[in-house]
Amino acid sequence: MRNIITYILLFLLFFCLQVFIFNRLDLGFGAQIFLLPLFLMLLPFDTNVFILMSVGFLLGISVDAFSNTAGLNASSLVLFAFIRPILFETFKPRDGYDPLKIPTASDMGWDWFIIVFGILFTLTLIWYFILEILRLEEFLLILRNVVMTLIASGIVIAVSQFFFFNQRRKK
Amino acid sequence: MLYVQFVAYPKSVYLSTASGINGSVQRWEGNLTSHFNLEQNNRALRVENAQLRKRVFSNFYQRNRATVSIKDTVYDQQYSYIPAKIIHASSTLRNNYFTIDVGSIQGIKKNMGVISPNGVVGIIFKVGAHFSLVKSVLTQDINLDVFIGKTGPRGILKWDGFSSRKGIVTGVSSDIPVKKNKSIYTLGASGIFPKGIKIGTVIDKKRVEDQALWEIEVLFSEDYRTLQSVYVVNALLIKELQQLQLEIPEEQ
Repeated sequence: MRNIITYILLFLLFFCLQVFIFNRLDLGFGAQIFLLPLFLMLLPFDTNVFILMSVGFLLGISVDAFSNTAGLNASSLVLFAFIRPILFETFKPRDGYDPLKIPTASDMGWDWFIIVFGILFTLTLIWYFILEILRLEEFLLILRNVVMTLIASGIVIAVSQFFFFNQRRKK
Repeated sequence: MLYVQFVAYPKSVYLSTASGINGSVQRWEGNLTSHFNLEQNNRALRVENAQLRKRVFSNFYQRNRATVSIKDTVYDQQYSYIPAKIIHASSTLRNNYFTIDVGSIQGIKKNMGVISPNGVVGIIFKVGAHFSLVKSVLTQDINLDVFIGKTGPRGILKWDGFSSRKGIVTGVSSDIPVKKNKSIYTLGASGIFPKGIKIGTVIDKKRVEDQALWEIEVLFSEDYRTLQSVYVVNALLIKELQQLQLEIPEEQ
């Protein structure tokens, strides 16, 4: 399950989903579905931060090339990858992380997932929209986009936790 | 220098959909997804076709049969149109750029205008060999010059990023009455667009704080989320116009 081919396939899946489906959706009211951080979240606990940031950059820049936003996704994902080990250290269980588990809701529990991923995702989205809009006078627009995207993407990501990453429980 | 150019997104050709590889993938994807809005787009094109058909030469009765071979000296052609297809577009970003499937091979140049059957799309921003990027109306500093109603006041069209269906016209003095449901047209002062292309209708207005100006909310007549067929405007007389405007003396 956790070999490198699975992650390469997941990388391609996330790339295709984001570029060909979610980037083309216009939900209105500033809501977008931003799925890429979930891929970085799913990488194993002991992944080196430099590998994490490189993978984030690679995924981000490939999506950027297909949506005319050079560097926007890439920098957001690098930021996500940079903060992830810090937050993982902060919210470590008493006995440390089980090396057999991966950071999903079904493995780590919903409380842990929502808190850790929620903080990471919110920070990423704030960075994303500040960088995209880049005007302080449009603060209201940034705020609205962050909140709406957080809600819309949050729903999709929560559903994905039920559907795709629950195999371990069924055994 | 190179780095600065790279950062000013989306100026670099290689990391944008105007480049060859990405452009081809986008064209493939555009071919696939363009069928989803086919019905709607066909209807818009049919309506436009019907209107254009009225103006076709063969539909006019010729009063003076002797003038048939005489070169038209009354009307010079000022604009010609290059049809194009949008192969990639976004409407959720703060600055939305559309990729179209014509490039320098078809004679596209930077700063040409782009229009659609129901409105104005934007201005050519970057040109590749086979593809071009259009800076759409849905960008921060598009600043198109427009006028309201048939002979109404002039203003500047902007986009505030909140909804892809609504824009804002500023720069209209608040002592001029502006009525709801009046249409907004291009002014064509810069010579990029023909005058009088409809952009949208007035749906709301409010006063700008501390200034004697209206802020007019406009409902775009074109739905940029489903747009596919566009025309690039080739302004044939624009060089002359720009030359003339350079002659305006700069007085301090």
